[in-house]
Amino acid sequence: MQRKSSPFLPVILLMALAIIALGAIFPFVYMALISLTQKTMLNFKFDISEFSLINYSRVFKNFNLLVNFRNSAVVTVSACILNCLVSSMAAYAFAKKKFPYRDTLFFAYLATLMIPGQVTLIPVFVIMKSMGLMNTYPALILPIINAFGVFLIRQFMANVPNDLLEAARIDGCGENRIFFTMVIPLIKAVLVSLTIFTFITAWNDFLWPLVIASKPNMKTLTLAIAALKGNYGTNYGLVMAGSTLTFLPPFLLYMFLQKQFIEGIALNGIKG
Amino acid sequence: MKKKLLATVLIISMVSCLFAAGQAESSGAKASVRKTDLLLWLPPFGSADSLDQVFWTDTLQPWAEKNNVNLAIEITPWGGYEEKYLTGFASGEGPDVGYMYLEMFNDFIEMGTLAEIDSYFTEKEKQNYVYWDKGKVKGRQYVLPFIVGNPRVPFMNMDILAKAGITEIPVTWDELVAATVRIKNNVPAVIPFAQEWADPAIGALNNVYYPYLWQSGGTIYNSDSTAVALLDNGAAVEAAQFLYDLKFKHGVISNECMAMAGTQIRDAFIEGRVAIASMDANSANALEKAGMKNWTFIPSFQNKTKAIWVASDSLIMNSASEHKELAASLMKYITSAPVMTRYHKEIASFPPITYDEEYNANPIFKDMFDNDSKYFHTLPVAEGAFMVMDTLYKNLQLMMLGDLTPEKAIQNTVKYSKSVISK
Amino acid sequence: MHKKKSEMVFAFSYILPSLVLIMIFSFIPIAMDVMYSFTKYNVIQKPQFVGFDNFIRMVHDPYVWASLRNTIVFTLFTVPVQTALSLFIAAILAGKCQNQFGNVVRSAMFVPVIASAVLVGTLWSMLLAPTGPVNYILDLIGIGAVNWLGGKTTSLLSVSMATIWKNVGYFLVIFYAGIMDIPRQLYEAAEVDGATKLQKFSYVTVPCLSRITYLVMTLGTIWSFQVFDMVYTMTGGGPGLSTQTLVLTIYNAAFKAYNMGYASTVALLMFVFVIAFQILQKRLFGKEND
Repeated sequence: MQRKSSPFLPVILLMALAIIALGAIFPFVYMALISLTQKTMLNFKFDISEFSLINYSRVFKNFNLLVNFRNSAVVTVSACILNCLVSSMAAYAFAKKKFPYRDTLFFAYLATLMIPGQVTLIPVFVIMKSMGLMNTYPALILPIINAFGVFLIRQFMANVPNDLLEAARIDGCGENRIFFTMVIPLIKAVLVSLTIFTFITAWNDFLWPLVIASKPNMKTLTLAIAALKGNYGTNYGLVMAGSTLTFLPPFLLYMFLQKQFIEGIALNGIKG
Repeated sequence: MKKKLLATVLIISMVSCLFAAGQAESSGAKASVRKTDLLLWLPPFGSADSLDQVFWTDTLQPWAEKNNVNLAIEITPWGGYEEKYLTGFASGEGPDVGYMYLEMFNDFIEMGTLAEIDSYFTEKEKQNYVYWDKGKVKGRQYVLPFIVGNPRVPFMNMDILAKAGITEIPVTWDELVAATVRIKNNVPAVIPFAQEWADPAIGALNNVYYPYLWQSGGTIYNSDSTAVALLDNGAAVEAAQFLYDLKFKHGVISNECMAMAGTQIRDAFIEGRVAIASMDANSANALEKAGMKNWTFIPSFQNKTKAIWVASDSLIMNSASEHKELAASLMKYITSAPVMTRYHKEIASFPPITYDEEYNANPIFKDMFDNDSKYFHTLPVAEGAFMVMDTLYKNLQLMMLGDLTPEKAIQNTVKYSKSVISK
Repeated sequence: MHKKKSEMVFAFSYILPSLVLIMIFSFIPIAMDVMYSFTKYNVIQKPQFVGFDNFIRMVHDPYVWASLRNTIVFTLFTVPVQTALSLFIAAILAGKCQNQFGNVVRSAMFVPVIASAVLVGTLWSMLLAPTGPVNYILDLIGIGAVNWLGGKTTSLLSVSMATIWKNVGYFLVIFYAGIMDIPRQLYEAAEVDGATKLQKFSYVTVPCLSRITYLVMTLGTIWSFQVFDMVYTMTGGGPGLSTQTLVLTIYNAAFKAYNMGYASTVALLMFVFVIAFQILQKRLFGKEND
């Protein structure tokens, strides 16, 4: 039976996709363009002759950017690694092991995602302060690890066939070895996904670093950039330069990891 | 195996502690020199080549050296401002000297976090401050007014007024109505009277409502700030009715205004699409920068009286500060004429706060600060003020969308206010 | 018996790190919040016990009712739309564009995910300005300018559009991964039976993705209930109370009215509703006890 397919449909689809893609990046292109100007008004009148990188040099000149960047990098990278490790371990236990109150505990985990950060800010702050952890890296890193990763990875644990694990056990493989050498590679795709997401969350985090990192040498990049936004007579060019700088690292990471991600999926897909 | 796992976790925590220790070490090294440690928090105002951190570090260095103080300066961003101060005070890591805006005074005073500063200033010093009295809040001198200014004033596009054949600048409410109606009838495609009714911040009321409330002889709270006074006389409803009529009866507030935020009003004004709009005085800088000519402003419209909204942000002293004398000295130094002159020239253009400082703000407003300060009004310092102003704004928005009558809008506000002010 | 016990011990030791963290940063703070909801608390001074006063106030608070209504409406619109959109686009990309073009589209759509919600809110406020690009285009095609942020119904829609735009890229990636995991044989078998593209989508793709769809909807719902930065930046809750959401109300109570006790009370209310939604969703979609 011949399949009826219109030659126009794919073209229309492609065009629609292209338009959607453009729509997604257009505001950021706009942001980058503004960062090259000294505009105090947000509109679409651009004078190309006015473009310059002076805002970026101002940002670099006036800020202890290397320190801020180091802090953001340390916090974000540590959070990604820890989150992947800790969450995948817990997800594995929830998905593949039986123990009493397993489902109740998992539901409790899920429930923690439903409380807004605005009301946990103060209690967490009080706890961190009483543990003497103000202005430390652990205080910045640890709260990022939450139930989200566990929830996400658990949903993908179905990709790990129980028979495979059982076979390994029969072969005498230890449980830890099974986890690290067999399970982790099979969930690589979702780990990449979690890494990207944790990176974005940790990198863009503003409120928590604001209250817990009061010393200048502990401030993150996002925090430092926020000091660019004056209250009156804002130089939008300067603000957008800061926003662009803050936006770039997660974006570059995504571009880099994207390739890994695709390869991970392709490998999984082939197994059929 | 399990050991590997344990090892990994241990290594990660050790590395983290190493970093933490690294931070502690570097700050420990400084503390070995016996200086007093003082902490100052200020928000950012700078917008281009001069940024606040560098400015304050440079400017305050002489004072720090002279007083043997290790002065730590933190520029606190406007975002998360209240959270920062709350957690700062709660943890005992608050600043010795800080900066608060009016809406924060009531609650932080009630919490006991602000010290009375009266005793640290001599009579002579007090008299040198133009706005010293504005720092008397809830009966005591809790704050030192630092930025008093950026008044909201009506700006007018003279080209449009000329096109409509208006020769005299409208000042009274009646004149304003007449002028804007004339503009509506004679000049197409402009907004005769622009107001920002879609601004996300309740500060929009500073432009669109409060001046008219005060010009009608009304106040938001009563004199001892125990209750909302919007129904104590007819002023609040009169002011609301005035705006309502401007939109629905005279049609001079266009529908587009219901979609505009404050920045868009300014942009439209610069583009020449707005005849009259109330904006903050610092907008004049944007107008000048954009090369706009033929515009002017008046200090205030007039109903029963004139009234001008001004900001009154102030320096505060932490009641838990262990060095109050030094903190006071810092406050005096920051507000001294030489420092303020530099500040007003390089960072944020505001009028002088001491009598021995020259006027270094935009010259077109000098006259107003010299002669019209009796018409200056600031927002009330009272319990529940934020929620009251928020509900007032929301009700007035509904009024301007045609959903509520002016009376109902004010009644709703007063009714709600009773639930946020403790009996 | 022995196996079961060692399984338990193993499971416990694997959950332990995450459990410790969640205990410190979630369970205990939430317990503290429950406590606070019975107090008047400004963070600096000791909490004052006020019994059920906060709850009674909440029942009469127009802000709370508006927040509840708006948040639920917002969720009911945003979640299905962003789920369907991301699923659709993922299916198209996986089916037709497993190439450079597809990669570019996916990367482009992921860009909004990377930006902070505040940045997205600011950018969309500009896009939806009365004389902004969206109205400009609407004018060109003859529909005319719309009052996006200042209209009573369009305001919530605007926030929803910005949110969907920000989230689709992420769910797209998740769905894409899920679709790639579907074994080819299933599609081949369907083709042998003469299935059209649409039928393949409905009878092979969608059912195989049910677990992931459940994940996407659950996350989407939890995030929708927490919408805050977008509203704060774009509308501030207005006009009137049309975009007042639960977290905005909670935030204002905590950090503008300095009443952490009342904020916690409203947070509890929100929590109850989110749980209810979750249970409902699980009944409807989460068959595999996940």
